[in-house]
Amino acid sequence: MNEAYIFDAVRTPRGKGKREGALYQVKPIHLLAATLNAIKERNQLNTKEIDDAVIGCVTPVNDQGANIAKAALLYAGWDEGVGGMQINRFCASGLEAVNLAAMKVRSGWEDLVVAGGIESMSRVPLESDGGALMFDPEVQNKVGYIPQGVAADLIATIEGFDRKRVDAYALQSYQRANFAYENNYFEKSIIPIHDKNGLVLLDKDEELRPNTNLDKLSKLNPAFAEIGSWGYDTMALNKYPVVERIEHVHTAGNSSGVVDGASLVLVGNKEKGAALGLKPRARILSIGALSTEPTIMLQGPAPAALKALKRVGMTPKDIELWEMNEAFAAAVLKFQQDMDISDDILNVNGGAIAMGHPMGATGAMLLGTLLDEMERRDLSVGLVTMCVASGMGVATILERI
Amino acid sequence: MINYKKDTDKIVTLTLNMAGRNINIINHEIGKAFIPVVKHLKAEKAKGELKGVIITSGKKTFLAGGDLDYLMSAKDAEEIYNFSQKLESFFKDLESPGVPVVAAINGTALGTGFEMALACHHRIVIDDPKIRLGHPEVTLGLMPGSGGVIRLLWGLGLEQAYHVLTDGRRYTPNEALKVGIVDDIAKDEHEMLEKAKIWLMKTNEGRRPWHSEGGTIPHGTARDKNIAQIIRKIAAELMHYTHNNYPAKQAILNTLVEGSKVDFDTATKIQSRNFTNLVLGKEFRNMAKAFWFDFNEIKSGGNRPKGYGKFRPKKIGIIGAGTMGSGIALVSVMRGLEVIIKDISKPVADRGKSYVEKKLREYIDRGRVSETEKKMMLDKITTTENSKSFEDCDLVIEAVFENELVKSKVTQEAEEHMDEYSLFGTNTLSIPVSKLAKASNRPENYVGLHFFPPVDEVPLVEIVQGEKTSDETIARAFDFVKQIRKIPIIVKDNWGFYAARVQNTFILEGITLLQEGYTPALIDNIGIQAGMPKGALELADELSLEIILKYEQQAAEHYGAKYIQHPAVKVLDKMINEYKRTGKKRKAGFYSYDENGNKQLWEELTEHFPTTQCNYSREEVIERMLFAQVLEAVWCYQEKIIRSVAEGNLGSIHGWGFPPYKGGAFQYINDYGVDTFIEKCQMYEKAHGQRFSVPKILLKKKGTGELIE
Repeated sequence: MNEAYIFDAVRTPRGKGKREGALYQVKPIHLLAATLNAIKERNQLNTKEIDDAVIGCVTPVNDQGANIAKAALLYAGWDEGVGGMQINRFCASGLEAVNLAAMKVRSGWEDLVVAGGIESMSRVPLESDGGALMFDPEVQNKVGYIPQGVAADLIATIEGFDRKRVDAYALQSYQRANFAYENNYFEKSIIPIHDKNGLVLLDKDEELRPNTNLDKLSKLNPAFAEIGSWGYDTMALNKYPVVERIEHVHTAGNSSGVVDGASLVLVGNKEKGAALGLKPRARILSIGALSTEPTIMLQGPAPAALKALKRVGMTPKDIELWEMNEAFAAAVLKFQQDMDISDDILNVNGGAIAMGHPMGATGAMLLGTLLDEMERRDLSVGLVTMCVASGMGVATILERI
Repeated sequence: MINYKKDTDKIVTLTLNMAGRNINIINHEIGKAFIPVVKHLKAEKAKGELKGVIITSGKKTFLAGGDLDYLMSAKDAEEIYNFSQKLESFFKDLESPGVPVVAAINGTALGTGFEMALACHHRIVIDDPKIRLGHPEVTLGLMPGSGGVIRLLWGLGLEQAYHVLTDGRRYTPNEALKVGIVDDIAKDEHEMLEKAKIWLMKTNEGRRPWHSEGGTIPHGTARDKNIAQIIRKIAAELMHYTHNNYPAKQAILNTLVEGSKVDFDTATKIQSRNFTNLVLGKEFRNMAKAFWFDFNEIKSGGNRPKGYGKFRPKKIGIIGAGTMGSGIALVSVMRGLEVIIKDISKPVADRGKSYVEKKLREYIDRGRVSETEKKMMLDKITTTENSKSFEDCDLVIEAVFENELVKSKVTQEAEEHMDEYSLFGTNTLSIPVSKLAKASNRPENYVGLHFFPPVDEVPLVEIVQGEKTSDETIARAFDFVKQIRKIPIIVKDNWGFYAARVQNTFILEGITLLQEGYTPALIDNIGIQAGMPKGALELADELSLEIILKYEQQAAEHYGAKYIQHPAVKVLDKMINEYKRTGKKRKAGFYSYDENGNKQLWEELTEHFPTTQCNYSREEVIERMLFAQVLEAVWCYQEKIIRSVAEGNLGSIHGWGFPPYKGGAFQYINDYGVDTFIEKCQMYEKAHGQRFSVPKILLKKKGTGELIE
């Protein structure tokens, strides 16, 4: 059996996904090309050697439309023989891209693949691609498809995570992310973004709030109470009638931020790596993807992680370090509770609550963050997982070499 | 059938006048009759001999809706689809002879009748408040079948079309103008035709926007971002109010959204397909049964005692200017009655008149009544503190609070001044009419008139026959209720009459579920999701737990030795006596209430009634709460509390909010399947007790293939 190895992982800093954000000044393709160039330079790659590029993107329209993967390869000046495709597994697109690259390599049909993701949420706003789940009333009402924030509030309500609890989790994310920055834990993967003239646009995540505290967090308004009152709360209760009413505990402070960013991972087999002088950092031990009840939506990670673990005969206790995407505080708390994971080994450097969630790019970013931290702590097995719209979950297990 | 007249300005007036009918209705016949007419018009146009067309009616109605009998009997999808497309192609012919066509609407045009008006290029209606216009199909679980949805989409834009199609309203001419479904109003027939002609003389082309280069839907299509967001909100709101129980509203929204993304002709096909789907669905059959067939049966007086001349009251008296009395005053003046409102002092009585004025102002804002009408109506109200004003009243209704002594006193005071022939009505909730009638000098003229709050919205009145109430009085009460456009159902003087008695079983079953260990939130959520207006526990609080218990005690009294205690009684007893939680009035019942009336389940409730049923069956919870009501309704029928299934169905829907999409408490059985319903009851009887036993009147239907009708 071929093994799939990770040779390198890079990511852009995350810029605020609005007009005043530093990365709003560049096109999405610019961010993706920057990661391609970084991978190429850091590994002294002759891009002819690459078989394919798999790029996750959640809103693949306009500037991100019509296969941005191939467009970016050409724009970055990669060899014209390298193919590219764009995939969409919503929030886990970037992680799914890596998993797909691993499958390509493990099948033996390809040797070296780049995989990652791109999302310029400032240039191509979320939901601007329409879609049946949200914008076809027949589909929405038949499925019971509610906004994710309301789903997160539903989890919090059912599990009894009150506002204090989710805010406390959020504060921990901010504190951990700041600590990680102060100690340069991210420097291995992060690449600064320059303009055409080499002027730096951004070299550090822009969303960090070093001065936040519980008091500030507690003053933020619930973000999903109004949309819930349109009828989405009712839709949630239709599926979960044991709930008296939805407690809207999520705010902009304890949910993931809207940001811009791109990420890329270099995946290949041993022989190809050796031939090109690439040093394997970890192998992709197992993956899991599945789907769960779509209305509550954000409970896919636990079963996805278990699926990945089961495939290699492992249990949650075998995992030394965890990354679970901080889409919403309650989604992480629920996952932590279901899997019985200690605070010290979950999202140890903060996550999307503190630094933002550039949709399609996040998965490959988290994978890089996990790998960096495993190396720093000298651990051997780690798992990254993500909750996904409509109930899906994706997980990847890494083992260091 | 169609009279053809052409004037010197080359304008053709087509007058619909269907032979052998009082009204024009839309059917195959009229479609066929139009074929040669349209052909001729096209030929005239080709010769340059046609400037425009006016379509009007030779009857009182312009054009009535489609044929419900036909649709109820239709079983074949292809046939229904073709039927609706055939009409649509007729409408298309009508709008495309190449010259403009005006609908000169001189009478009511509803449903398919209005779809034809929409197929004209311009609509002018006579300002007659009796005329009704629009698309009330949704109230029968249906949507327009032949292009009307798409024409409204193109005429009004998606959002406004959605509201017009789903609010189920029959608009007056002024309202219709306000919402934009007609273009102009004329004061009489003459002005209407004149205006039609003027419009035709200045309009050269009869091209519709959807057939024009660059024609667009107002405000945009579902592809536009802002419209897409509006649709999301509408869709969520729809779920909030219907819980997926009303496919017609959903189908209308689906049709508008999908129809906005494709060309007009394809859109009308999508409309026809969705229409076909609804016609074949259960909800249409249930709702048409209740709101059309049952409604017409009651209205035609099937249960009115025979042999008594029609009662035409001109002046009525109302005792008590509270919300009920004021509401009765409102609906009465709106139907042309003179009203005397009496209360303990004139200023108190004046409050009743102010209420009417406030409501009428709301109606003016909606375009429902005019300023002049409002003034006329208010002039008909006299307020007083003196019963002497009842001298020439044909009927006096007391709506004072629920106290036997007070009710007796006002009855006697009023009767002193009323003539012998006049009626006295009591708006009693729970005190038996026969008991109250003892205070009356003329108990044969004494009748229960049970209105439901809010009076202007609930279209039902229970006419309660006391022991001594004469048949003639019932007949007269029936005529009065009909005159104020309410649905009269005649009920026997029994505890809770029909509505409150049956409603109580829903509440008791909900309470029983609590006692069995179901989560309280689940009980109320599932009740609402099944289509009840409120959850059982919430409703118990609102009515007060003492009243709930009192009704059940009356039932116990009635059945005597045969009575088996309902398991909910123990819970009620504990709540009332042990926990001192009697309901919303005291801010403490199953829920706790804050100063603003916001409620939250009582924190200790699950301590006293611990949740043990974690793996509940949604179906069983729904069925237990609905079956309890259905069976009690059937008992009422068997015990002759109500006289007909039609009254039982509409009484259940309007009286206590039995889910309308089920067509009422009796239609529920037919919809479920008579035999399977009986079998399921027997299962529940075994599991949960005798209260699920099936009354004989229903049991004997088993295996016969008959419906309960």
